[in-house]
Amino acid sequence: MFLTRSEYDRGVLTFSPEGRIFQVEYSLEAIKLGSTAIGIATLEGVILGVEKRVTSSLLEHTSIEKIVEIESHIGCAMSGLTADARSMIDHARVEAVTHSLHYDEQILVETLTQSVCDLALRFGEGAQGEKRLMSRPFGVALLIAGYDKDKGPQLYHAEPSGTFYRYDAKAIGSGSEGAQAELQNEYHKLLTLKEAELLALKVLKQVMEEKLDCKNAQLASVTKDGGFVVYSDEKTDEIIKELTKQQAESEDSVAEAVALEAQH
Amino acid sequence: MPGLNFDNYQRNQYLASKGFSQAKATSTGTTIVGCKFQNGVVIAADTRATAGDIVADKNCEKLHRLAPRIWCAGAGTAADTEMVTQLIASNLELHSLYENRKPRVITAMTLLKQHLFKYQGHLGAYLIVAGTDPTGAHLTSVQAHGSTDVGEYLSLGSGSLAAMAVLETNWKPDMTREEAMQLCSDAILLGIWNDLGSGSNVDLCVMEIGKDANLYRNYMTPNVRIAKERSYKFARGTTAVLQTSVRDLLDVEETVIPFGQKDSDAMEIEA
Amino acid sequence: MSRTTVASEYSAEIQSTPIEHRFNPYSDNGGTVLGIAGKDFAVLAGDTRHVTGYNINSRYEPRVFDVGDNIVMTANGFAADGKALIDRFKNQIKWYKFNNGGKKLEMQSAARYIQQLLYGKRFFPYYVSTLIAGLDEEGRGAVYSYDPVGSYEREQCRAGGAAASLIMPFLDNQVNFKNQFIPGTDGKEKRPFEYLSLQEVIELVKDAFNSAAERHIHVGDGLEILIVTKDGVRTEYSPLKRD
Repeated sequence: MFLTRSEYDRGVLTFSPEGRIFQVEYSLEAIKLGSTAIGIATLEGVILGVEKRVTSSLLEHTSIEKIVEIESHIGCAMSGLTADARSMIDHARVEAVTHSLHYDEQILVETLTQSVCDLALRFGEGAQGEKRLMSRPFGVALLIAGYDKDKGPQLYHAEPSGTFYRYDAKAIGSGSEGAQAELQNEYHKLLTLKEAELLALKVLKQVMEEKLDCKNAQLASVTKDGGFVVYSDEKTDEIIKELTKQQAESEDSVAEAVALEAQH
Repeated sequence: MPGLNFDNYQRNQYLASKGFSQAKATSTGTTIVGCKFQNGVVIAADTRATAGDIVADKNCEKLHRLAPRIWCAGAGTAADTEMVTQLIASNLELHSLYENRKPRVITAMTLLKQHLFKYQGHLGAYLIVAGTDPTGAHLTSVQAHGSTDVGEYLSLGSGSLAAMAVLETNWKPDMTREEAMQLCSDAILLGIWNDLGSGSNVDLCVMEIGKDANLYRNYMTPNVRIAKERSYKFARGTTAVLQTSVRDLLDVEETVIPFGQKDSDAMEIEA
Repeated sequence: MSRTTVASEYSAEIQSTPIEHRFNPYSDNGGTVLGIAGKDFAVLAGDTRHVTGYNINSRYEPRVFDVGDNIVMTANGFAADGKALIDRFKNQIKWYKFNNGGKKLEMQSAARYIQQLLYGKRFFPYYVSTLIAGLDEEGRGAVYSYDPVGSYEREQCRAGGAAASLIMPFLDNQVNFKNQFIPGTDGKEKRPFEYLSLQEVIELVKDAFNSAAERHIHVGDGLEILIVTKDGVRTEYSPLKRD
């Protein structure tokens, strides 16, 4: 990409001769610098998991907010320039609340995602003389998890380019390549919510540099009955413990298998 | 002091300004017509009486007798057409007794217009006056303010335009009695169907020279109510009995005592 | 003493009383409507007469509409406003589908959105009494009724328009059994509510409209009943008195 870099990467309103808008592509790069976030959709509900970069022992880890509520049935995890997510979240919340005011029902997860993506493209505004709201594309990607009566538990990935896709499982951020590969291996349609919790933490653990604990990782879920819930540190801790135990057991069994093989 | 008294006008205006609603008379949206023929005159009317948007009477009488052979159809304020008609009928009879002559249509019309003019249109009576008298058959109309018209065919009331459409289309000079009856009832029917102030049935009155007037009450009934789909009979006891009070009726017995049938001569006075 | 002519006195008089000019954008086009919710169906009926004053503009101008998504709607009163409201709502159903992946607009959502449309013109209201009928999410019959500025309520039955005051008490008594007691209980036990069958409801509607046409000059000509069931919307027409 950088090979074709040219003067065309200055403005957000101009295509390069190859038909690219560099600023949008760069914004996708910004996300790759962000901390890893993972979403896994199961039949029981959706799990969101994020890595929190606690860069200093003096940093209060609860002040890092990477999973937020949009409505009681929709939550979202972010990666990239998280400050940019503020206006997207605000917009999403307004849309969700306005929908329930107008229609006396909860907004569909897909509708909500679409409205967030509509906002993502507003960086182009100002060309027709109206007031310009944004100077550049957002530098953040969102994993939107939700539940609605129409399509059940859903997970969407929304990008700064304004496109979105629905995923069974998706990872974004710096560790996304490895994480996505792992999800690809481990995901199956019959995953329970419990298994998804463990899988999310397992994948995070793999791609994180620090040792996984409840301070540098956070989980949340969206289910039919419980709606959106961010897990408490205690609950996250328990799941981490269970994961560690599970992994130790499987290592033992692997060791046994290896030993058994050696005997033959 | 003779003349009109406007004392209550001032008082009523004052009350209205304080928010007391004025008494409103029931006005009859109506179709009435009249039409002359070879040997007489026919008048006809619909039978709907309205109070605002509500049908107050589905079969009211709008044909009034002023004299045995002079009849009048009334539109406007129901009470006014009724009262003014009765008053003038009364005066007309007195007048005919006094003069020892049969009452004339022109006399009835003149009495009506003089009375109505006096009330400056406050009596909302719009009338078609028709009849036969020694001078022939006549057809006239009187407006509430006192103006009058004479014509071969006339219509009045909220359905007058609908009726006049028929009269203008089908009227011709020297019609027979039957043709005139047909024309008048057709005119009223158009009012019944197309004017919301008019409805239900057709009343008709034929006045032929030298004959008694014929009133055809409900000459046509094209709007008979259809049967209900459901029964609305309630089981006995559906409504609670709140109080019971039984009174004994006073028995009045009447006994006829025969009074000396045979030997009752004692009572009779000897001649 | 100054002399005044008749003309000068008259000119002084008209100056002292200001003339008020007013723009009156509303009119009343008559007609009456009625909705009844059954166990697994709902009906919305209206006469087809369209009037101004003492004139009939049309003997067949449909008043109740199938707006899609198994919802029927009427907005009775000032016909132009009624048409505008229904058109706006039909338009909104399309947008709702565009925005929500073709999702069906549920009755309660339709009900809420119509409130937004009506209240949106709080200070220049649509001069109509609005009714919608359909099935709720559980498949039960539903009727919602509105005042001109959007106050709404779900009901078992409701009459609107010119003859509403004539029909509503009849409905209270015949649909909700108001003022009816179980015989033999001496007025202690109310007759309990039970759903009427579709056949019974249609008979009731016809009787209500025939009676209203007898006594209200703005009601008549034709009766159109829209029936909503899980299988869709069906229309039945029967004539009414034309006088």
